[in-house]
Amino acid sequence: MSSYDDHHPSGWGPHDWGHGAPHNSWSPLIMSIGIGVFLFSVAGVYEWGEFIDASYIGVSIAGLAIIFIGLTVWWRQDYTFDGGYEPRSMGTPFRGIEVRKVAVWVFLMSEMMVFTSLFSTYMRYRFGIESCESVFMSGEWVEGSSVTCFEPAGHLIASSWFHLAPGAINTFALIISSFTIVQALRYAGMLDIDEDRRRKLVTRYLGTTWFLAVLFLTLKMIEWFLGFPLPEFLHEYNHGDSTIKSLYAEGYLINADSYQHKYYNTDYVASHGHGLDHESALYLMMEEGTHSGGQMMANIRVSASTFYVTTGTHGAHVLGGIIGLTYMTYKASRGGYTPDNAVSIEYFGLYWHFVDLVWVIVFPFFYLY
Amino acid sequence: MRTKIGRSLVVLAVLSVAMLIAPAAVSYPTGVNGVAQTGCNCHGAVANSDVAPSISGLPDQYNYSEEYEIVVSFTGGPANAANSNQGGFNLWVSDGELAPIDATAQAYGANEASHTEAGNDQTSWTLTWTAPSGDRNVEFILHVNSVNGNEDGNNGGSSGDLWNKLSAKVSPPILVLEEADPFVVLSTLIVVSAVLLIITLTYVFYRTNPESFTWEHFAPWISEWLTSTDHKKIGTLYFVAGMFFLGVGGIMAMMIRIQLAVPGNDFLTQDQYNQFFTLHGTTMIFLAAMPLINGFANWMVPLQIGAPDLALPRINAMSFWLQPVAALLIFTGVFSGSGADTGWTGYAPYVVSETAHLGTTMWVAGQIMLVASSTLTGINFLTTIAVMRAPGMGWLQMPLFTWSILIANLMLFLSIPAFGVGLIQVYLDRVIGTAFYDVSAGGDPLLWSHLFWYFGHPEVYVVIVPAFGVISEVIATSARRSIFGYRSMVYAMAGIGVVSFIVYGHHMFTSGMSPTLRFVTMLTTMLVAVPTGIKIFNWLKTMHGGSLVYRTHTLWTLGFLVTFTLGGISGMFFPSIAMDLHLHESYFVVAHFHYVLVGGTVFGFYAAIYYWWPKMTGRMMDERLGVIHFLTGFISYNALFWPMHRLGVWGMARRHHTYFVTTEEAMGALPMEAAGWNMFVSVSAFLFFFSNFFLIANMIKTVIRGEKAPADPWGGWSFEWMTASPPPTPSFDPHNLPELKDANEHIANEPGTLGKLFNRLMMSEDEEVAH
Amino acid sequence: MAHYTIMGRDPYWMNFYGLMILTLIEVLAVGYDLPEEKIFIFSNYTLMILTVIAIPKFIMIGMIFMHLYGSPDSGILTVTALFPAFFIIIMVLFIGLTHPEATTGLPEWCRPGYYNI
Repeated sequence: MSSYDDHHPSGWGPHDWGHGAPHNSWSPLIMSIGIGVFLFSVAGVYEWGEFIDASYIGVSIAGLAIIFIGLTVWWRQDYTFDGGYEPRSMGTPFRGIEVRKVAVWVFLMSEMMVFTSLFSTYMRYRFGIESCESVFMSGEWVEGSSVTCFEPAGHLIASSWFHLAPGAINTFALIISSFTIVQALRYAGMLDIDEDRRRKLVTRYLGTTWFLAVLFLTLKMIEWFLGFPLPEFLHEYNHGDSTIKSLYAEGYLINADSYQHKYYNTDYVASHGHGLDHESALYLMMEEGTHSGGQMMANIRVSASTFYVTTGTHGAHVLGGIIGLTYMTYKASRGGYTPDNAVSIEYFGLYWHFVDLVWVIVFPFFYLY
Repeated sequence: MRTKIGRSLVVLAVLSVAMLIAPAAVSYPTGVNGVAQTGCNCHGAVANSDVAPSISGLPDQYNYSEEYEIVVSFTGGPANAANSNQGGFNLWVSDGELAPIDATAQAYGANEASHTEAGNDQTSWTLTWTAPSGDRNVEFILHVNSVNGNEDGNNGGSSGDLWNKLSAKVSPPILVLEEADPFVVLSTLIVVSAVLLIITLTYVFYRTNPESFTWEHFAPWISEWLTSTDHKKIGTLYFVAGMFFLGVGGIMAMMIRIQLAVPGNDFLTQDQYNQFFTLHGTTMIFLAAMPLINGFANWMVPLQIGAPDLALPRINAMSFWLQPVAALLIFTGVFSGSGADTGWTGYAPYVVSETAHLGTTMWVAGQIMLVASSTLTGINFLTTIAVMRAPGMGWLQMPLFTWSILIANLMLFLSIPAFGVGLIQVYLDRVIGTAFYDVSAGGDPLLWSHLFWYFGHPEVYVVIVPAFGVISEVIATSARRSIFGYRSMVYAMAGIGVVSFIVYGHHMFTSGMSPTLRFVTMLTTMLVAVPTGIKIFNWLKTMHGGSLVYRTHTLWTLGFLVTFTLGGISGMFFPSIAMDLHLHESYFVVAHFHYVLVGGTVFGFYAAIYYWWPKMTGRMMDERLGVIHFLTGFISYNALFWPMHRLGVWGMARRHHTYFVTTEEAMGALPMEAAGWNMFVSVSAFLFFFSNFFLIANMIKTVIRGEKAPADPWGGWSFEWMTASPPPTPSFDPHNLPELKDANEHIANEPGTLGKLFNRLMMSEDEEVAH
Repeated sequence: MAHYTIMGRDPYWMNFYGLMILTLIEVLAVGYDLPEEKIFIFSNYTLMILTVIAIPKFIMIGMIFMHLYGSPDSGILTVTALFPAFFIIIMVLFIGLTHPEATTGLPEWCRPGYYNI
């Protein structure tokens, strides 16, 4: 097998897998340049949260486009992969397992560390900064000046069913998508069905996964920025509001240095819900007349930053999944997955299940707690 | 096909040029020359020669501290007495002090003056300039606007106005040489080095086949290098990049040493000094040491374990190509004069403050890309070593260099996500305004220190452990016997790897972190000496009873043993909290980490270069030049870093742009001898810098007309010596892999406790067949 | 690919049903007002329910969907997946759960100013 010598694979075109690795590729160089351009120009658009220069938006988009070109080259080379070249491990301890499956698991180790770092950040701030609720109840604030405290997003989100709806639906969406991807794997690897039926089933399941991932990000946008109008008959259950308010509309923002929420207004609390806790310091101070009550203002930038960046990192992983799924769904629709290379779906599936696992932790601790 | 490659090359070239130009042109308006020369609020886009500015009253040579009355005026242009406004000016002076005489002019600080509202209807203005008290070449730069006073004239409307610029020079009483801007020097040197590198590479191409020195042949050659996924080609690329940045980092070190050669020097300003030591550290660690390690790892790991290539060749190419782009981002600051000035540790909250230079954002962005690169490298090497060992090669039959790369990548891979997350937080803080490290919003700067050092401490072992591997290989081959205590070597490295995650807090003893954690990290740090001591002992024992062959790589290895042990001993002062509080931020720390990083990593990799050069290029290196390189390098290196211990104990602070000596016995004062020692250090630094030119000369010389190397010039016995020099592609035939046969086959294949456990968990042999 | 069944049914479907039910319980636990008392190490009942439910969900996804159970390669891949546990624990303990307290966390006799032995 010394056909390597006369084999000059193109750096652009579909790879001839009969020759195995290595093969040349322009993709790494192009993608690296794209990433560099993107990181460079994003810093030109914004600076310390202030909009600086619109002309850089074009450059950022160009950066993304370059990354996408690189990715296309990468996919184009992979497209012909039919499972004919699938090296397996040798020796202790992975003997017999596909090499790339081991690589995906190794990759997941680093992902675990990424999310552990984010959670460590969260824990440090969550336990290190007093929560806004206890600051409010302690009465150690005066109306008109801002206090620094930790306002968990869960406090807002878990406060009503309507706020919770996007996050809850998302949880189901991710779990269903985890299920559909293993179904795609099952049918791609199933030997006793004919080719056309396999193609249809795999495409359908991968397409469903894609759709659920897109639904996830859409709902996330609704929850973060857009909000959602409610039908008339539901208004009374939503404190009379006509929409599900987004976190943006609630003022839960990374630059919220004077966050004011109705929950931290003595008048609102007195007139809604349970009223002030009669044993709280604030209630006693107001009874004594040493505290005039009113609206508490809070600097919640740190809590908002941890919330948006941690859930945003998870969202970025979902976005990465969508990009991968787009290619895979296309390949599946052309009958690209057969029992020989069904394990490719498993590689992506492992990543996708991991994203689901992260959500299993992110959801309770960022949305509910 | 060929035109396609040509076209893509053009596109790439345009993109790279755009990347280089864009930062200087738009991102940082201050530019290389600083704010002064562009500080004109000029009316119109280009200067117009109709306007003739002049400065009168300036002497040719000034007297110290004398006050001169100068008149700034202009003629020509649309200005005339009938206009409501006639003109304006901006005068900048490099030294001395400007002051207005009447209400028509005003000064902005000592260096800049301009007209006032009242001065708008003048064409000449009078000022005083107080000459500096020292010897300086003083430069004046004058911008004038000639204004036609049209309707919108008062409100900044400037249609029809013209402007021009004038510069003048005044010399001091004693003539001094023109002072160079350190950034211009650095940028020039970087560009010159890059050009030299390109010329050398082109020459290499020419030498490969002198007849075919044409574009038609060059395009596929270069595109092969740009797209290759062969581990040997990527290894070479890493190696070239690493050597280039070793040079760049060295140039910065030399400029730092020029600054520190004499007390109270002002070759570098504080601001420039901050950027220089930041970029020196970043360049040396991330752009020189790591690529050099990766270069050898890429080259040797597949060869040593008998694999045809790495497990994921294209991912490997990706991890390389992220690095040059990242380097460009990191260096955008240098080319624009406002590079990162945060130190390589980038401590919060300074790193997210607006006082930190704009270049810091780009420095962070570049680091994010390096993190991505290291993660991909980690996946690749861990997978390769775990799954692609040749038949017969169990874990405890792997060569020690491969083991060291495995341990290093494991540490790097598991720790770098913490750094990456920290960097992304900083990037977002600086760009979109999150508040992770904003103290006023309750952010905790110590969090950054934790995330950084959780990565940073394993990182310093990541750069030293591969050197351990190299030394083990070289010493065993040179002593012509197998390494003493192979298993203890492996366990020692693994022990260092695990402990490195617990000890990181010793970098933060003075930061005010939890006392419990301080105690834990103090104890574990002291523990690190144990595995390191085992290794040193094993190396010595390997030589004992062996018959040492003194080749250049052996010499560097012996040098490593001396310097690394010294560095290790000075390191044992720091785990003790009380001692650390005293020595923290002093030159003692600088001496320690240069002893282990230069005396350890760099010496180790010099040994690796001499050891594996015949394998990589197929040419023997010149031994005589090699010995000269070792002697000059080793002596000047020790002269460079040894006195720093003493300076540190005296109390010379690191990261300060200058120092002062005094005869008084005051707190914090350096004795007079410190000045002499600093000069000695600086001279030695230059000697060490230039000693490396012997290596470069040796490389170039031997590649062009070195003696042809045999497959195994040193008598090594690991797999890489079984291939031809240079090895073919793929390195081993994937369908006919080499097999490791052990003389003690029975012992080698007897599974230990861990082996038995793995055997229970592993897929069984027959399942593998049925799969 | 799954080579086994759960209660005679397809494991993917069974796992799917199980996850749906567990998630539903989570959402309901948040929606209803549960007593705000400290229980065990948790600050309230809701948090306890969420944590307790997250664990089986984690295991179910890992074992069945990620094939860490029932495949020939499950054993060794489970060990691989658990490998970073040590480093995760170190990070959570050292970074997540420590605070700057050098000025307050030391005993009196160990602080500057305590010189009257």
